[in-house]
Amino acid sequence: MSEYSLIGKRMPRVDSRAKVMGKAKFTADLKLPGLLVGKVKRSPYAHARILSIDTSKAASLPGVKAVVTGDDTEGIKWGVFGYTRDQQFIQTEKVRYIGDEVAGVAAVDEETALKALDLIQVEYEELPAVYEPMEAMASETERIHEDFPNNINIHVNIDTGNVDENFEKAYYIREDTFTAPEESYFQAEPYTVVANFDHEDCLEVWCPNGGPHMKSKPLSNAFKIPLHKVKIKKISIGGAFGGRSEICPADYICALLAKKTNKPVRIQFTREENTIGTRQGHAMITTHKTGVDKEGRVLARETTCYMDGGAYSSTGPIATSVPFLSMEQVYRMDSVRYNGYRIYTNKPIRGMIRTHGRGFAAGLDTQLDMIADHLGIDPIEIRLRNVRKPGEYTSTKSLVGSCAMDETIHTAVKRSGWKEKYGQLPPFHGIGIGTNSVQTGFPMGIRGGSQSFIKFNEDGEAFVMSGVVDNGQGNDNMLVQIAAEELGLLPEDIHLVSADTETTSSDPGSYSQVSTFVGGQAVQIAAKKCRKKLFDVAAKILKVEPETLNAENRMIFVKDNPEKSVSIKKAVRVSLLNFTSVNAEGGYWPKVDMKREWVKNPYGQMCEAFSFGTTIVEVKVDPETGQVEVLNATACQDVGKALNPLVLEGQFEGSVAMGGQGGMLTEYHDWKDGRCLNSTMLDYKLPLACDMPDIHCDIVESIEPKGPYGAKEAGMSIAMSAAQAYAGAVCNAIGVYMDSFPLTPDKIIAAIKEKQSCSEK
Amino acid sequence: MEKIKIILDINGLPQEVEISSNDTLLEVLRDQLDLTGSKESCGEGACGSCTIHMDGKPVRSCLTLALEAEGTKIKTVEGLADGDRLTDLQQSFIDHGAVQCGFCTPGMLMSADALLKDNPKPDKARIKKALAGNICRCTGYTKIIQAVAHAGNPRNDCPDCQHQNKQKE
Repeated sequence: MSEYSLIGKRMPRVDSRAKVMGKAKFTADLKLPGLLVGKVKRSPYAHARILSIDTSKAASLPGVKAVVTGDDTEGIKWGVFGYTRDQQFIQTEKVRYIGDEVAGVAAVDEETALKALDLIQVEYEELPAVYEPMEAMASETERIHEDFPNNINIHVNIDTGNVDENFEKAYYIREDTFTAPEESYFQAEPYTVVANFDHEDCLEVWCPNGGPHMKSKPLSNAFKIPLHKVKIKKISIGGAFGGRSEICPADYICALLAKKTNKPVRIQFTREENTIGTRQGHAMITTHKTGVDKEGRVLARETTCYMDGGAYSSTGPIATSVPFLSMEQVYRMDSVRYNGYRIYTNKPIRGMIRTHGRGFAAGLDTQLDMIADHLGIDPIEIRLRNVRKPGEYTSTKSLVGSCAMDETIHTAVKRSGWKEKYGQLPPFHGIGIGTNSVQTGFPMGIRGGSQSFIKFNEDGEAFVMSGVVDNGQGNDNMLVQIAAEELGLLPEDIHLVSADTETTSSDPGSYSQVSTFVGGQAVQIAAKKCRKKLFDVAAKILKVEPETLNAENRMIFVKDNPEKSVSIKKAVRVSLLNFTSVNAEGGYWPKVDMKREWVKNPYGQMCEAFSFGTTIVEVKVDPETGQVEVLNATACQDVGKALNPLVLEGQFEGSVAMGGQGGMLTEYHDWKDGRCLNSTMLDYKLPLACDMPDIHCDIVESIEPKGPYGAKEAGMSIAMSAAQAYAGAVCNAIGVYMDSFPLTPDKIIAAIKEKQSCSEK
Repeated sequence: MEKIKIILDINGLPQEVEISSNDTLLEVLRDQLDLTGSKESCGEGACGSCTIHMDGKPVRSCLTLALEAEGTKIKTVEGLADGDRLTDLQQSFIDHGAVQCGFCTPGMLMSADALLKDNPKPDKARIKKALAGNICRCTGYTKIIQAVAHAGNPRNDCPDCQHQNKQKE
């Protein structure tokens, strides 16, 4: 029997009842008295100097309540890091991509607001623009940002030493270049923000976010008001996938309009704005040079990656590092040199995305398959010879604790029938494997820890307060599940107060895969303290030692004699009568190397735990049309401990859809002169129900000693490894190693034809 | 633009609304009747988040003019449950973990509900076809398809049908 009453159980999510009834409120569903409609005026040019802005006609249109431009701002620039502050929320001097913000309006309705946008007259002087990283680096025209020569925004250099020496020792060396264009999040909910200044001049904001505290700080900076004057409120969020972590200029513009009008304002993005005006995934050109010994063990690797960062820094230093980190976590390398360049271009801004570095990762595994092929080693075997083992250090000196990478490979191989299938499938059928690892958190300085408060009511039920946000992945349920487990309550006895900067303490946010590990752990610690208080009271009532007690189903009872019990409600009331509260706080800060910095010092303990995942996919390619039918997918991840397998499987399945099915087969952006040609859901090809294969989910539990109940990151190792497995399977089916992702029908047909013409010669 | 008064039959209740001829049904439902369960995700008929029933058939309310709804019976996600009592389909979505962010859920439920009325025991291929016009970015669809297949047809071999099984007992 399990030692837990709720942990490890397939628990339906506490938030889903409101969602199936249509009661859950998302930002666009909010109605406040006097709510105005806000709209953003955007640049039609990819690169231009702003000569003048005339808002007088727009401002005098009946129904228009306010027009704002850069002149209304404090002129503060935003950047995630001190050294990346390059983005004004409303541009005053230059626009740097088609869609850059130049003004905002608030009006009584949408029609009036749109008319007003047209009446704002902006005079531009068009400048030469650059759209590709290589072109941008070589360009001798006006830089996108003056202080950045060659338009190089970020350069991450990592060198473990001995790389050249080890290449000399290598038995076989390959150098291959892989490319992938930009992809987008396409969260179901288009970005929407509502802002209001309340009667105490506090700014209230509702918006999708990857962490409320990461929104409040930049807003407090931009308005030069203290943090306690900025209240980011909880609201249902329709997906994030890394795209809602940062402040969005629209948050600020909406707040500025609210301030100027003294009314609540809502800005709701169109689907096109959601694509170009939030963030996108980086386009990447990655060259992997790998030297191996006769057995296929990697002795040396040199990876150079050029990332198209778009117009501003965003999470640049992180984005430039993460594809490398995933590589160094999953694969051992005796020596490695990495040069990652994030290049400014006159395109929309790029940030972190769930499968960040799909071309980097899929290229790495494709090259591994090429090496295995050359050496006559099975693709599984070459991975087993190179993958991470527990207790090792990564190349940049992070100790890897729990790690069941091997087991995920063995499990997925067995489940998928790899041994019976590989090399024995009919023509144009293929099978592929991907292995990957994702970090449970980043070093985030003072924002690295999470704190929780729990307070009991006299009826024996509890409020749990936590800064953790739920973007749709189930974090709310996770917090309730942990609190109920520790307190001996039922999930319905817990009321969660979360993701609100007024009532909850700082938290790293949900974008670094750390919500359970850090935020969940903080709740667990607070709940354990509350339980101790309750047990002390109950022990006196029952005349036993507190250590002999357990709590479950609203009762505290003696472990060896469950009949001897007292209700939690009674324990709370007795405690209050004895002048003692039953509240507690708990906090958790991961012990990372605080000296580690993305650019200046990319060495030291990155985070406390790493997840490891394997995906195997079987496909059938139609050689006439280039269409890929995915027959089945097997997803297996070492998650430390599965707190809720029902939710976890949903993460695996969604990861296969986004990382593999969409990420490797259909999803990419098309451009003409910096203009995105497929920004809507009709044009950008997202996976549909009818596209998806059967997915087998296998969970491996390595029990991470530092995680709550042994848990660590869960799901993203599947998104990344699914991209690799899809690439491997298609290459296996057509007998060509592909170097340009995603693998769309045109590329597949061209590869098949080229192979045929080569073999005819 | 000139406003027109019409009466719509929404979730079994007559509702008088004042509309412009170019108002979509989705705008009237959300802005005038506070029925915000139906969502706008793409606004161009691609994603299915705004799916409602018009005379029992699933339609996209973002592409339907409010005027077209006059004289028809409209049902929205808010009209599925009988008070607090959920339909088998809604309960099945909860039990099978078919809801993640929940933004596509109302539209998904309306498409699936129409399918089940037509065909109470659809096979997987039929479900996939019926849901092909509803985009979900979170789930990979697996659990949604399972929830539809098992709605009202609890399976003994499914660990997530237990709640429904208990309700039947």
